[in-house]
Amino acid sequence: MTIILKTERLTKKFGGLTAVDHVNMTLSKGELRCIIGPNGCGKSTLFNLITGTYKPTSGRIAFKSKDITGKPVHIIGRMGIGRKFQVPGIFNQLTVYDNIRVPFFRDQRRSLFLKPRKDSDIHQKITALLQKINLDDKACLPAIHLAHGEKQWLEIGMVLARRPQLMLLDEPTAGMTAAETRKTAQLIRNISREEKMTILVIEHDIGFVREIASRITVLYKGAVFKEGSYETIQSDEAVRKIYLGKSR
Amino acid sequence: MKSDISTIKSTDISMQRSVFWQPRPAWIAMGLAAILVLFPMTQNDYWIVQLTQLMVYGIFAMSLSLVWGYGGILCFGHAVYFGMGAYIYTLIVKGMIPGFSGILATSIAGLLTAVLCVSLFAVVVGYFLFYGRLKGPYLGIVTLAIAVIAERIAVDWYYIGGYNGLFSIPPFSVAGYEFITPIALFYFVLASSAIAYLLLTHIVQSPFGAILRAIRDNEARAESFGYNSAQHKIITFAIGAAVAALSGALFAIVTEFVSPTLIGFGLSTEVLIWVALGGKEVILASFLGALLVRTLETYLSELMAYYWILFLGVFFVAAVILFPKGIFGRWLSD
Ligand SMILES: Nc1ncnc2c1ncn2[C@@H]1O[C@H](COP(=O)(O)OP(=O)(O)O)[C@@H](O)[C@H]1O
Ligand SMILES: [Mg+2]
Repeated sequence: MTIILKTERLTKKFGGLTAVDHVNMTLSKGELRCIIGPNGCGKSTLFNLITGTYKPTSGRIAFKSKDITGKPVHIIGRMGIGRKFQVPGIFNQLTVYDNIRVPFFRDQRRSLFLKPRKDSDIHQKITALLQKINLDDKACLPAIHLAHGEKQWLEIGMVLARRPQLMLLDEPTAGMTAAETRKTAQLIRNISREEKMTILVIEHDIGFVREIASRITVLYKGAVFKEGSYETIQSDEAVRKIYLGKSR
Repeated sequence: MKSDISTIKSTDISMQRSVFWQPRPAWIAMGLAAILVLFPMTQNDYWIVQLTQLMVYGIFAMSLSLVWGYGGILCFGHAVYFGMGAYIYTLIVKGMIPGFSGILATSIAGLLTAVLCVSLFAVVVGYFLFYGRLKGPYLGIVTLAIAVIAERIAVDWYYIGGYNGLFSIPPFSVAGYEFITPIALFYFVLASSAIAYLLLTHIVQSPFGAILRAIRDNEARAESFGYNSAQHKIITFAIGAAVAALSGALFAIVTEFVSPTLIGFGLSTEVLIWVALGGKEVILASFLGALLVRTLETYLSELMAYYWILFLGVFFVAAVILFPKGIFGRWLSD
């Protein structure tokens, strides 16, 4: 299996605090992986390092065998890493339709100052995406008026629009009802299967993790604590102690 | 796969209203244009001159609408571009720049040079501001400082007229025709307003405009899609500066006079008020905001001498609270 992402002794310090501590992690192409761990253990920071939002204190990140350590965000975005933020990262004032549309402009060959051709197939792609994320009936609404769960789906749709090779999802079910959470888990499983996309998900909700039934990396105090299948992790005493026991 | 407009349903409404949107404001713009075209036939020279000046400020306000309303760049020194446009135009047509003579000292050359130089200047300023990742209050403070410095330079620089400014600017002329009469100047400025409006509206409705609003709403998200936000902001800054320079040069043409107040902090804050009151997220609303506030100022200052500024302040606060999207912004946006 080809390796798509590899971190080597990746470390990030904020002053005296080591938020990410010598993390070695390997992701294979097409894999669906969950990262779990208690609040503040460095999950989001790890994402910020991979996407270039933060520069690592030490260590290296390779994506598709290319060193991307310290590269700017927009370059890493162009290389094929898409990211869903923990706080919904959508364009509030734009319509749902335009939110999905903005990432497509990167494919436009004509000058960005010219209006796109009306016969382009982008419209079909956007419509299909809107259906996939269950928002096709809300296309005209400014995104700010969506319910919280819908905003999360919209953002997943926006990330998908770029057709990234690696998709990072930071707590995609935060603030969702149980039904919404299940729907989201299905959506992510479908994307993984149908699009053959590599997906790395941070999740808090153990029900979601069970639903996804993928390989799990447990992070604790910035370092990799344990890695394995849901069953192994779930039955691991040490993991239960640091995490499962006091999950919400 | 090609799709014919007539076969597309439901979600297509969104397509037409979003990036392809044919806004209702287009109707209002046309109505307004008709009124403006007919205006000189119904009024005397005094009001024609007044409205000509108002439209110059209106163009200036539209340029800030692009930068602030769409680009999300709160610039406290926008008058620097206006003033530079006015000064550069004046210096060129008065033959005060060594090497600029003959065809290079004509009105058209002056106008083009002013617009070009100012937008290049904005690219340089923007490069440092936006690659330096300045945002919010820091950006405001730096642009404010630039305005204060620019005004000081204009006051102290004897060659460009110093405190008194420059007078007797020759009339704008094209191929021997001189724009001297109020009516000629009025239509000249009206045509310029229309061009500026159409240009800016085209930009904000293009994909570039959508990306710009996306960057304004969520910069990190837009960057993760591969858009270079600094680059987009610099381009926006340069276009805004070019239009502001055009309005500055028009000011010099219409009033035949430039002074340091055109380049400083005072006018920079005034234009912020016009645009905030009119509606910063709508080009036409910003234009109307300038017209409304300037008209109110004129009326009130005649009506109540020194207290007008107090009244205007109260009006400003009330309008911002009652209409956060601007007085015209609400009904001009879709
Ligand atoms: N920009 C920052 N500056 C300083 N400390 C930070 C910053 N971002 C995160 N941290 C700290 O790093 C630790 C890990 O945070 P984070 O990665 O957000 O945790 P998680 O996503 O696992 O809940 C926390 O203690 C947090 O306070
Ligand atoms: Mg987090």
